[in-house]
Amino acid sequence: MTKTLHEVGYGIYWSTWGLLLALTLLMLVTGYVSLPKGFVVLLLLASMLVKASLIGAHFMHLRFEKLTLVLTVAVGILATATFLFVLIAFDGIRILKLSLR
Amino acid sequence: MDNSRAVETTESPWSGAVSPFAISWQKLMMWVFIVTDALLFAGFLASYGFVRLASPQWPNRAEVFHLGFIGVMTFILISSSATMATAVSAARRANRTVAVRFLLLTILGGLCFLGMQAYEWTDLIQQGARLYTNPWGVPTFSASFFLITGFHGSHVLTGVIILAIVALRSARGRSTAEGVELCGLYWHFVDLVWVFIFTLFYLI
Repeated sequence: MTKTLHEVGYGIYWSTWGLLLALTLLMLVTGYVSLPKGFVVLLLLASMLVKASLIGAHFMHLRFEKLTLVLTVAVGILATATFLFVLIAFDGIRILKLSLR
Repeated sequence: MDNSRAVETTESPWSGAVSPFAISWQKLMMWVFIVTDALLFAGFLASYGFVRLASPQWPNRAEVFHLGFIGVMTFILISSSATMATAVSAARRANRTVAVRFLLLTILGGLCFLGMQAYEWTDLIQQGARLYTNPWGVPTFSASFFLITGFHGSHVLTGVIILAIVALRSARGRSTAEGVELCGLYWHFVDLVWVFIFTLFYLI
């Protein structure tokens, strides 16, 4: 059994917690300010991905794992999910156009 | 027979004799499980995206949910992830007291989240939301809501049960640090899924 010997202090978890909290507040605030919809969506998606990366890297220790594992997880989830969504998104839009006719 | 083959001295992790992932099989299998479970939620969220794209209108979430309340739920789950990471780190340092304390705090966070989610469900059900209909004009809205948050909530519940078992075992000195770490990976995954659900279902 191979041990990962990285030892980190507790501080990194609580600074990550603070960042996650700040990002969550930022995401909630977008509902109360009048900004272009497209910009808000992009901002929310970007914040979501940053939060996910922070959790994966710091809480789940992916920062210290082999790139092989990181890529297996990242590509396994994100690429598959994106591919899945894009595949059916076209059909969704087609059905919307049908219902609006 | 030719015995003069050159010996490869590459340090590639794929050269053989070692695991290319450089982690124990238990940890690797937990990651494999996480990837498959993430794809379950990816399927739910992709189908929600499809249904939403296909609907000419969609209820205004700010009018259906108490977004501040949901924000507090998110804060609680994120905090429980931080306490979990602290527990894992303490377990690695063989600091059993701190590990158990932070495991219990994580359980508390999980229970609070579940209670708040149950309150949210009760509120919506009392307003008439069901799997097949709701008062906001788009039947698939409540179907998506109950399906996605229901599956997520059941993952949180399972996580709380596993955490309780690991906390008990750690208190008795019968859990390894890796056991706590594997439990931690699952809990962070549950938090990670919520980050996606919170953004895609409640905000966007």
